[in-house]
Amino acid sequence: MKASLLTTSALAMLTLSFAAGGANAASKWDGADDLPTSPLACDANGAAAPAAAKPYDGGQPTGAPDKAGKEITVVDVPKLIGIGYFNATSKGMQDAAKELGNVKVTTDGPTEAKIDEQIKFIDNYITRGVDGVLFAANDPVAIAPVLKKALSKGIHVVGYDANSTPDAREWFVNQAEFNGIGKSMVDSMAKEIGEDGSFAIVTSTFTTPNQARWIAEMQAYAEKCHPKMTWLETVEAQEDNNLSFNQATTLINKYGDKLKGLFGMTSVATPASAEAVTKAGQCGKIAVVGLATPNAMKPYVNADCVKSVVLWNPVDLGYAATYVMRAVVDGKLKPGGTSVDAGKLGKLNVINGSEILLGPPFIFTKENVGKFDF
Amino acid sequence: MSAAAIASSASGRTGVFRRLAGQELLLAVAIVVLAVVVGFINPRFLATRNLSDILLGNAYIAIAAVGMSMVIISGNIDISVGALIGVLATISGSLAVAGAPTIVTWIAPLVIGVAVMAAQGAIIAYLRIPAIVVTLGMLSILKGGLISVTGGKWITDLPQNFHLADLSLFGVPMPVIIMVLATVAAALWMRNSPMGRAIYATGGNPEAARLCGVNPQRTVLMVFALHGFFTGLASLVYATQLRVIQSTTPQGLELTVITAAVVGGVSILGGVGTVVGSTLAAILIAEITSALVFINVSPYWTDALRGALILATVIADILRRQRRAAQGWKR
Amino acid sequence: MSATIETRAFRAPRWLKRHETLLAIILLIALVGLGLLNDRFLTLDNLLNQGRLMTEIGLIALPMTFVIITGGIDLSVGAIVGLCAIMLGYSWKTFGFPLPLAIAFALFVGGLAGFVNGLVITRVKVPPLIMTIATLALYRGLAEGVSQAHSVRGYPEWFYFLGQGSVFGVPTQLLLLVLLTVVAGVVLDRTTFGRALYAIGANETVARFSALPVDRVKLIVYTLSGLASALAACVLVSRVTTTRMDMGAGYELDVIAAVVLGGTSIFGGSGTIWGTVIGLAMIQLLKNGLALTGVKGDATIVVIGVALILSVLIASSLERRRD
Repeated sequence: MKASLLTTSALAMLTLSFAAGGANAASKWDGADDLPTSPLACDANGAAAPAAAKPYDGGQPTGAPDKAGKEITVVDVPKLIGIGYFNATSKGMQDAAKELGNVKVTTDGPTEAKIDEQIKFIDNYITRGVDGVLFAANDPVAIAPVLKKALSKGIHVVGYDANSTPDAREWFVNQAEFNGIGKSMVDSMAKEIGEDGSFAIVTSTFTTPNQARWIAEMQAYAEKCHPKMTWLETVEAQEDNNLSFNQATTLINKYGDKLKGLFGMTSVATPASAEAVTKAGQCGKIAVVGLATPNAMKPYVNADCVKSVVLWNPVDLGYAATYVMRAVVDGKLKPGGTSVDAGKLGKLNVINGSEILLGPPFIFTKENVGKFDF
Repeated sequence: MSAAAIASSASGRTGVFRRLAGQELLLAVAIVVLAVVVGFINPRFLATRNLSDILLGNAYIAIAAVGMSMVIISGNIDISVGALIGVLATISGSLAVAGAPTIVTWIAPLVIGVAVMAAQGAIIAYLRIPAIVVTLGMLSILKGGLISVTGGKWITDLPQNFHLADLSLFGVPMPVIIMVLATVAAALWMRNSPMGRAIYATGGNPEAARLCGVNPQRTVLMVFALHGFFTGLASLVYATQLRVIQSTTPQGLELTVITAAVVGGVSILGGVGTVVGSTLAAILIAEITSALVFINVSPYWTDALRGALILATVIADILRRQRRAAQGWKR
Repeated sequence: MSATIETRAFRAPRWLKRHETLLAIILLIALVGLGLLNDRFLTLDNLLNQGRLMTEIGLIALPMTFVIITGGIDLSVGAIVGLCAIMLGYSWKTFGFPLPLAIAFALFVGGLAGFVNGLVITRVKVPPLIMTIATLALYRGLAEGVSQAHSVRGYPEWFYFLGQGSVFGVPTQLLLLVLLTVVAGVVLDRTTFGRALYAIGANETVARFSALPVDRVKLIVYTLSGLASALAACVLVSRVTTTRMDMGAGYELDVIAAVVLGGTSIFGGSGTIWGTVIGLAMIQLLKNGLALTGVKGDATIVVIGVALILSVLIASSLERRRD
């Protein structure tokens, strides 16, 4: 009797989830967030309408000691350590520190992308007493209280890669605008699979803020400029190589010929998707477009399985973030400033009030991928 | 529960055999039924390519579950297995990139796996520290140590002949062969060898086992050493499958392996279960994961559904056992 | 082992006190050592802050001690934290509950989740390890499904007092933890309920024959475990001002480490709240002290792992020698 009761309830759950699945027929792509999108124009330069200059909206430290020109110790707390992407940003920071000569940067962070752990790391460094904190947030809102605590103790706070709420940090170095990435990704895919191709997405988790933003912008841009392209499905694969591979393989097997392209939304998902396509013998038949570091993609780019890898240069990102921190401490970058000098990168512009734009996305191809080592 | 196990094994191997065959049969049936049902909804699920991909992509979990079920049968547990697989994979890959001969890169994880697990087994058996404490501590040590040493740098540029998992014998891919061989060898050994039966005895009732002349300490040490071997084997398959090695501990792997062992009918009370069951369970769980994608379950609900199915399987198993035991007593 | 059960129950208090004292000594040595290496470690400010940060784990460790004393375990606590956090946000935002009602609802969901664990463990007799591994996956999955991966933010200011405020300089949640610790300690030490826990853990069959309401007691401890996880979820959401479905991931191992380090035997039948508190403090202060001294995250994890094994080794071998 108990067994049949349990079986019935199990069946009920199954039916419910089918219903839930069906009812959830995607009016929007899975994994996108609900924030407003602003797709760029469809033409080649895709210039956004010049936005009215926003007033500065960052936070400010209280009672920060004047260390202009003096040596400062800075801690970098990325989302997690142990992936190529943040190894690259860390390298960029070390390069900048060596050039500047009066900055000491240490990278330390959780081994898994957990916001609670990241908060504890930052908190410990606040207690230790550092001059500056560089961060890439696992969650923009959850990280705000501890960053504000840092500001209140006179510590400078600059973010990169993944933003927090604006009032919790002084500046945010943005690798590329979300809509710019959306455009690059979708345009690259359209070029490879054609205007009526269908594609699927492999992402880390649906709750990772950057990925969710990119997917939302990709959807808005595709609707606007490539309306006949079909989105099939989005799957989660954490930051795990093997899991991403298995998920991508499942997608390939499920859709067969219908699947013409795969988007990889993280530096783990893209090489794994490329591997899945290679193993399935579909190189050239299924396009792989995504964000990834060049080292992981070299075998696939060289085998012509992947035509282009969209990214920015994370080494440059870390490099710029360090220069911004130095400029803030030296008083050279103040609220209301419009640009900052970033060493070999030249002058970077301030956008959106308190963001500093690194530049347009960088595309790694067969020709240039060999020149990079990260 | 363990009393019942002893009682029925005392009634002859047939009693144990019949009970164990129940769970394995249940799992095998579930695998087939699920495949048929999903194949109905989306015929592409039944394509040879897909079925073999499910096996290939998850063989390493089944291999690790073989060792894990032996550990659980002996009355212990190991939560460091995921971290160890990450470490062994990194060692193997690093050796390959450094130019070591391929056979060395394949043997190294096996040897080191045995060494590390045997060390844990020794602490558990002879120093009497509970397995959960030792393996929890070891999990931390391995996880932190791995990042400390590698800095999280991925291993790329692996030499071509490193990829054991790409090879095949008589058309059957290596991971499947290793999985089947490991399962069959372990199953036969557990059932027929005195040490194998000692493992069941130690897990079922250590006092009674000692009175029967079994040395529980040595048994536990052996079990962990063997578990280390299978972990090494699993890490080999795991490492040689893809072109890059991630150099971090695969998240949540230990829980997946334990779940496979447990769903496979290995009783956490010790003394009951088989490795065949755990391999079948690993395959079933992998199949469920793929099936949920194929039948278009909303991706937000896939994890909940998988959890529910695992729970249902476990409850069904326990109920079935109780009904058997009740019948047994009546006789 | 079964032969010494009766005498063990009587000798328990003295035996237990020994393990905790040893642990407390080890803790003191560690504190002094780390304090010498770093002048920011032993400040009141830092210690209170650490108290704030360890509250979530601490709250769950209290009923976990009860659970492990009865010979069981609960691996689903982290998932329940995530589920309750989501339920808090979801009921407030989507159902439109006033926030106090939403908090009560979250607590209810946590208690229910624990109750379901206990029900299946006692009625269907699924072993606790297996049941809670399954519900670990199930509850986390429910959190994802219900929330559809959305976060909820923008809570009213007064709510943040729980997680970020202080009363006379002491963090609010730390006061809550201290209060509940005292209650838990009294319950375990002075009530029939507490004694029943030890009896069940020492030998369940004997306990049943002694007419103890074994099933009811077990049901209660697992429900308490779920409730504590829900409370921890409220504290966490208040501390970080948002909800995420992955909240609480990995908590179960941290909680079990604290409990086991504190001398509670994983086989059941012994353990104290006092021990759990020391275990909790040791792990938190060790992590903090090492970080302040300049040890990086990955090396800290290694040290914690070694410390865990060593402490249990030292404490139990010294104990055995005195026996």
